[in-house]
Amino acid sequence: MALQDICRQPHTPAFPYSHKWNDPISLALAGGDTNTVLGWGGSAPLPFYTPFSANPSLRAQTPNRAPQSPIPGRAGVTVPFELAHGTTTLSFKFQGGVIAAADTRSSCAGYVECPTAQKVIPIHSHLVGTTSGTSADCMLWKRILSRECRLYQLRSSAPLPVRGAARLLAAALARFKGTELCVAATLCGWDRAGPALHYVYSDGTRLEGQLFSVGSGSPYAYSVLDREYRFDMSVPEAYALARNAVYHATHRDAYSGGCVDLYHVTESGWRKIGRDDLLPVYYQKKGGGVVLGSEGGRCCVVLKGEGWCVGSPLEQGGEPVLTTSHPGGGGWVLTWGCVGSEVGEGVVRGFPPHGGGGGVRGF
Amino acid sequence: MALLEVCGYRDEDRSAGPLGARGRFVDRSSHFSFGVKTAEFAVPVGVDPQAFLSPYTAGEGNVRIHLNHGTTTLAFKFQHGVVVAVDSRASAGNYIDSKDANKVIEINPYLLGTMSGSAADCQYWERLLAKECRLFKLRNKERISVCAASKLLSNMMCEYRGMGLSMGSMICGWDKQGPGLYYVDDDGTRLSGQLFSTGCGSSYAYGVVDSGYRYELSVEEAYDLGRRAIAHATHRDAYSGGVVNLYHMRQDGWIKICKDDVAELIHQYALENK
Repeated sequence: MALQDICRQPHTPAFPYSHKWNDPISLALAGGDTNTVLGWGGSAPLPFYTPFSANPSLRAQTPNRAPQSPIPGRAGVTVPFELAHGTTTLSFKFQGGVIAAADTRSSCAGYVECPTAQKVIPIHSHLVGTTSGTSADCMLWKRILSRECRLYQLRSSAPLPVRGAARLLAAALARFKGTELCVAATLCGWDRAGPALHYVYSDGTRLEGQLFSVGSGSPYAYSVLDREYRFDMSVPEAYALARNAVYHATHRDAYSGGCVDLYHVTESGWRKIGRDDLLPVYYQKKGGGVVLGSEGGRCCVVLKGEGWCVGSPLEQGGEPVLTTSHPGGGGWVLTWGCVGSEVGEGVVRGFPPHGGGGGVRGF
Repeated sequence: MALLEVCGYRDEDRSAGPLGARGRFVDRSSHFSFGVKTAEFAVPVGVDPQAFLSPYTAGEGNVRIHLNHGTTTLAFKFQHGVVVAVDSRASAGNYIDSKDANKVIEINPYLLGTMSGSAADCQYWERLLAKECRLFKLRNKERISVCAASKLLSNMMCEYRGMGLSMGSMICGWDKQGPGLYYVDDDGTRLSGQLFSTGCGSSYAYGVVDSGYRYELSVEEAYDLGRRAIAHATHRDAYSGGVVNLYHMRQDGWIKICKDDVAELIHQYALENK
């Protein structure tokens, strides 16, 4: 996308205007009355429609539920279903960088459309964005933002600061104000000024702060975060706090669930810490500590207390602690971390914990 | 109120009134009958409230009456009884009506009711519940159970369902079966549980209470949890604030623990975190 622009590729049917420059200033200006392509200054179109925003009276008349037709003269079409925005994402700055965490449930009109969606999207090496709102819109605009950040970097040989990226995103989304577009993103990154955290919403809100939580599960996460958050937390404490806040939000909010994705942005870039299943956490909190063992007795993981602990690993071929097996024979893919020691990753085929009985040793 | 009823006193003779026999359809002061004689609703004559209100509360038009429960209340059962914590902000739209409203009604020394939703509805219906509980005690010579009291309130709500009442209440008490906690709603929901929080600040309170709640909490830990949950909820929710009113329902009745200003609590927690 960006490279094609730089290399001045000749006309191809797929990218008919790819040889033209894409001026970021023109992105924010009103396009015009073209009805075929997105007129970001009319120079480098992206292949989707834009509302016909050149006629302000038309925009004022149209209520939110009937977006304008891109083709002038044709009446707007009502949306056939409510666009659902259910998620829990959170991000905060602390002494060790910026943490971004989100659940992985993508819901649509009352059913779970995807239990393993990705809501924290890397934009470039030092910037990730959490997404909330309609997932299609968020994915697209994040990709557009990546493209523009890359173009800026290529042109001015300096990376776009996070504040600038937030302004760019907000300006680009401002053209769609009053339509059904819904993007609520927090941009978490590290630039020359240090750790940075900005919140951008498609209605025009753009805020800078230490701590944000976005989505339907955000009230539940906010109170857990408010209780424990300190700027001078250690890194494992920050991981545990982020996971805990997302867990509590998924526990109470119907539209959040699945796993928790955790990203950490430092001076050397972003790093995905892991994707942890939240279902075992519920059983663990309900019934105290629980032992999960693998089929081959390779490893023993203990979930204990408020955090996640790695217990003493069993030797190769040692006797597994678990003496009963799950009827289906399946288990969960689990990655685990530890408060106070190194984060481990891997796959443990575990058995779902039984609440206190059935031959499972609990703590 | 209760004594007047028991003694059979009636303030006017229906058949001799200006409307004669049709007087029984006219609004009267006492309209909830506890299973005796005729069941009547006190509604204006000639108006069907449900049909009138449903386009505005449940319809898809542009005009909607949003009945929000602007408060935070919570209650949970634990090994030493029931802890009840409420905030004290009464709001009327964007205006803070009172920073010292009382959202817990002390029905009798063994029964408490919390209020969220429309203040008028809560105060009236819970006072009516208090009257019915007193009548029960006078008639049956023993205190009403928490289960029965919440059922009475829930029946009242069911009778007026769809007519625009707004009430989210928790009935907490200690009876022969031990501690009791029921959540009763304006659409007739009645649930028994270990932990409830109501009002628009409830989602914030749930986060804190869920992360600290265990049945085996000690008394001081339970008080602290209730205070913290309300304080954090008032910190984030615009419609909650004021002071935390904390009650503890024990076997020998309820006691009021404290009335702490949330601003001071938040400041104290921030200092602890440093």
